[in-house]
Amino acid sequence: MSRLKKPADLKKLKKEAVARRGAKKTWLAVCTGTGCRAYGAEPLADSFEGEIARRGIADTVGVRRTGCHGFCERGPLVVIQPEDTCYLGAKPKNVPDIIDRLTTGEGNVEKLLYLDEANGERLSRLEQIPFYKHQKRILLENNVLIDPSDILDYIAVGGYSALAKVLAGMAPEDVLKEVTDANLRGRGGGGFPAGWKWETTRDAPEEPKYVIVNADEGDPGAYMDRSILEGNPHSVLEGLIIGAYTIGASQGFIYVRQEYPLARKHAERALDQAREYGLLGRNILGTDFSFDVKIHRGAGAFVSGESSALMCAIEGHVGEPRPKYIHTSEKGLWGKPSCLNNVETWANVPHIINHGAEWFGRMGTEKSKGTKIFSLVGKVKNTGLVEVPMGITLRDIIFKIGGGVPKGKKFKAVQTGGPSGGVIPESLLDLPVDFDELTKVGSMMGSGGMIVMDENTCMVDTARYYTNFLAHESCGKCVPCREGLRQTLEILNRIAAGRGKEGDLALLEELGEFMEAASLCALGQSAPFPVLSTLKYFRKEYEEHIREKRCAAGVCTELIAYVIDQEKCTACGACFRNCPVDAINKSKDKVFTIIQEKCIKCGACYTACPDKFSAVVKVPATTMQKQSAGAATLHETKA
Amino acid sequence: MHASNQVAQRRSTTFPLDVLIIDGDKGFTRNCVKTIESSAYTVVGANTAQAGLAVAETSHPRVVIVDWNTPGGNGLEILKSLAEREPTAVPVVVTANATVDAAVEAMKHGAFDFLAKPVDSEKLLETVRRGLDLSSLRKEAAGAEAETDASKKYDLLLQGLDVLGEAYSMGIEKKQLLDELTFLENEAKYHAESLGQIKKKERVILDIRNDLAEVDAILRKYDFQKNSLIQVLLDVQESFRWLPRHILNWISGRLNIPIREIYVIANFYEAFSLAPRGRHTIHVCTGTACHVRGASETLTRISSTLGIAAGETDKDQEFTLETVHCIGCCALAPVVQIDKQYYRDPSKKELEKIIKTLKQEKEEPCLA
Amino acid sequence: METINLTIDGKPVTAEKGTTVLKAAQSVGIKIPTLCHDDRLEDYGGCRMCMVEIETKRGRKRLVASCVYPVEEGLQVQTNTEKVRKIRRMIIELLWPAWQPYAEEYGVTSSRFKTGMTDCSLCGLCVRYCADVKKANRIYFEGRGVDRKPALVEGSELQCRACGECFTLCGSGWIASRC
Repeated sequence: MSRLKKPADLKKLKKEAVARRGAKKTWLAVCTGTGCRAYGAEPLADSFEGEIARRGIADTVGVRRTGCHGFCERGPLVVIQPEDTCYLGAKPKNVPDIIDRLTTGEGNVEKLLYLDEANGERLSRLEQIPFYKHQKRILLENNVLIDPSDILDYIAVGGYSALAKVLAGMAPEDVLKEVTDANLRGRGGGGFPAGWKWETTRDAPEEPKYVIVNADEGDPGAYMDRSILEGNPHSVLEGLIIGAYTIGASQGFIYVRQEYPLARKHAERALDQAREYGLLGRNILGTDFSFDVKIHRGAGAFVSGESSALMCAIEGHVGEPRPKYIHTSEKGLWGKPSCLNNVETWANVPHIINHGAEWFGRMGTEKSKGTKIFSLVGKVKNTGLVEVPMGITLRDIIFKIGGGVPKGKKFKAVQTGGPSGGVIPESLLDLPVDFDELTKVGSMMGSGGMIVMDENTCMVDTARYYTNFLAHESCGKCVPCREGLRQTLEILNRIAAGRGKEGDLALLEELGEFMEAASLCALGQSAPFPVLSTLKYFRKEYEEHIREKRCAAGVCTELIAYVIDQEKCTACGACFRNCPVDAINKSKDKVFTIIQEKCIKCGACYTACPDKFSAVVKVPATTMQKQSAGAATLHETKA
Repeated sequence: MHASNQVAQRRSTTFPLDVLIIDGDKGFTRNCVKTIESSAYTVVGANTAQAGLAVAETSHPRVVIVDWNTPGGNGLEILKSLAEREPTAVPVVVTANATVDAAVEAMKHGAFDFLAKPVDSEKLLETVRRGLDLSSLRKEAAGAEAETDASKKYDLLLQGLDVLGEAYSMGIEKKQLLDELTFLENEAKYHAESLGQIKKKERVILDIRNDLAEVDAILRKYDFQKNSLIQVLLDVQESFRWLPRHILNWISGRLNIPIREIYVIANFYEAFSLAPRGRHTIHVCTGTACHVRGASETLTRISSTLGIAAGETDKDQEFTLETVHCIGCCALAPVVQIDKQYYRDPSKKELEKIIKTLKQEKEEPCLA
Repeated sequence: METINLTIDGKPVTAEKGTTVLKAAQSVGIKIPTLCHDDRLEDYGGCRMCMVEIETKRGRKRLVASCVYPVEEGLQVQTNTEKVRKIRRMIIELLWPAWQPYAEEYGVTSSRFKTGMTDCSLCGLCVRYCADVKKANRIYFEGRGVDRKPALVEGSELQCRACGECFTLCGSGWIASRC
């Protein structure tokens, strides 16, 4: 295929691409995102292809390996188009059955359809499933439709039309106005308006200028950027090219975490294909505008997601934040004006250009427009990626889309914003999700991780988890962040081990205020939020740890003990087989006991014990100490 | 010959000569001698081909800087005679009118580097330093040639032993014969040992050379750009599974980056390892989603099954156990990544099975 | 030369454009405590001892590190408010006992934290001096976050002892004790 020589050529190419897709009547879209891959999506797609070839129906039925569909909990996912029949958890052994129904047109494979637990009904179509029904999928919509390694697929669904529109007759000022009017705010964390950033970079006197995609998605528990880059890399690239045109940059970078090899591969292929079609490189679409992109791999450091640190890393130095009283949009990469936005932000740009700022502004709240993708994970039934309009309540996301907490447990809190965010308790669940509302309650939007916690999650442990994470991920340059985290962690460890003191909580708060006020970069300034927000909403839990030496959630290992309920134990041996340290005693009368001195409290027995018995139980360590003296004597007399 | 030249030559009788400069331009030669001397290397300058080659023969320089247009014989001829007489010397060619053809021609005839005049003193020293490194490697390789000698001697000795042994078995009992036999046996043992050592050393040198060639291929991919350091190290980590010290030193020289900066980066980022990693890496995700769903239990289970703690490699260098902050596979939480495969919270039994299969897979052991 | 007018602790100050608040303060004899700052080195902003309170012309109030904050027209700087004193006290406590030149002035006699795990304050003066001024590149920071610690490039002890220029920069005597 030759290069596109003018913006209008794209329309012709789109026609061809659409015709190519239409040649087959039916498409099986098999999700091969990282989650579904782990469930065995690749062999599944292989067996679909094999079965289709065997039956000689390849002319009418095709298999398309797509990016992430979002409903990761129930993978591997297969969507049959154009009917949009959605099969969950399909295995290669189901393939003949699925193809049978397809060719004969006789109904669906019922057992692979979504089961509505409320009325026992099977739901066949994707948009009927509650997980999808309550979403508003704009950025993720095409993930189900396209093969991310094929640019023609993207073009067939309207890809690069925004770029063609821009290059056919929009001045950079017009594009900037559209993005500014749309009030697109950065999806990476702080919610800084993208329009301002673009304008500052554009107006900065120095040349050259750079545009950068931040795909260093470091927040644990968040993977939306990964899914966009894996599933629809061209949408990010198109946004970036439009940004470069607007700002006046001729070189761009995509900074990808090395933990995301597939995302890198797909981004690389996207660049090659875009170059081949003249959508990237010299004289894009035959215009005077030239722009190219390089991929830079991150080497594994959370702090590298901070803009100045990320730019240091691209320059080949250690990713340490620099003092930023002058913004990177004025002095960034090699001291030149650099505009950095994350994957999701760039991916929004083509939609804004295509549909206009007014359309974009119709979604969301007054100050937060458009949609936002969240990775809904943790103790929630429907784990996955969800795209919702801003302003939806947390309750709707967690209960309507997420299906609530599994195993009948009680909801406790939801954590948003990653290590820089905070926890939000049940009482605030009706909060509309937008940048400013979340900040008001001591959390933040962050990049979109949403971790649901139930009654078995300990808040002291949660704070300790994030603090430990940050203490090792901080670069260590400035005193408040490095030493503040060191001491915060020290105090939290103390509390979790039952050695907390009165006054520790006040000390934690003082340290938190100090870090927030004095740290060098955003990582340090927001580092105390996990502690401060858990302290704000769950102070009682901290106090229980300190005063009663009790961890009600049964998480802090030094405050709990595992015992086997002698009444319930049926001596099935599951715990015995799974114990890594041989701390389970098989006694002659077929009742098992745990040797407390040997037990490392790993919880393997607790997990292994079948639910129908639930014989292994957690008890507070304090009660155990009292009992153990008695138990030991009992044991001795028996011996 | 001018003064500094003579001084240097006098010194060269007592020290091994590091650098010889053969160049008709006296001013240039003088400046180079000064620069190189200032870095405490021994150096001699010669202004004609004849004089230069004479110095080379007597003092065996390690690096020879040759002007492409030296009076009394052009650079190419000097290179040729050097290759014959001093094969371990590392030649560097300088020229006032640098052309691509000349550079290619010089490289073809064994020039290690090609410098265009005027030569920046930093650049000159850098080239000398790298040339000296190479010369040491060449010297070591030349040592390997002594192997042939040793091997010949060894064969002769074995023959001698056979003859003597035969004589002994035929009943010629003489004390002298016995003594001779013992002596020869010891001698043979000694040569066999040194032969073994030479072979071993040669293998190491060969391995190192292969490593460096591989690293050069990686560096070429990034055009020897300084700012590609992190990318280069990532590639090295991927092919070698760790960052061996000699490779870091090599990269430092090639990209002209202080070794300090390379250590800073190697120590800062999670992806790098300064000790050999196992053939298989097990990553236990400790991201938040995995944490709340019990990743620490998973970690303890794997750690006790393998008998190593997080961050450690087992003694057979089969497995390295590591934790990672989120691999973006949260729906499978708690998730474990073994090489490129993902597993959802594998039980002890499943783990044992996976470990067994992986152990059986044959793969070339990595250079450690 | 373009000049900028600002006030520091109520005192009107005229400074060269592009200079920092710290240097402007020093030029009129106002002392701001520092740890990681050295005139020969590039501004670092790591220790945060030099934090001051500012109010911009637009009325925006915030805390900034004066060693890296460039002077602005009409800026009002307060170098010794209770807020900044509190921050400085906390820094001294956190670095206790590795670095205590200002302990007396700020009334710190002990630390409420479990400190003293290292005798190095990680100010980075030696590291930056060795790399940027001396260009010897022999000392660096190893690891990150709470694991960060200074380290010598292998085999540097002799040369470092011979040079020793950074020993005088070190407030805690860490390098001298290692070479």
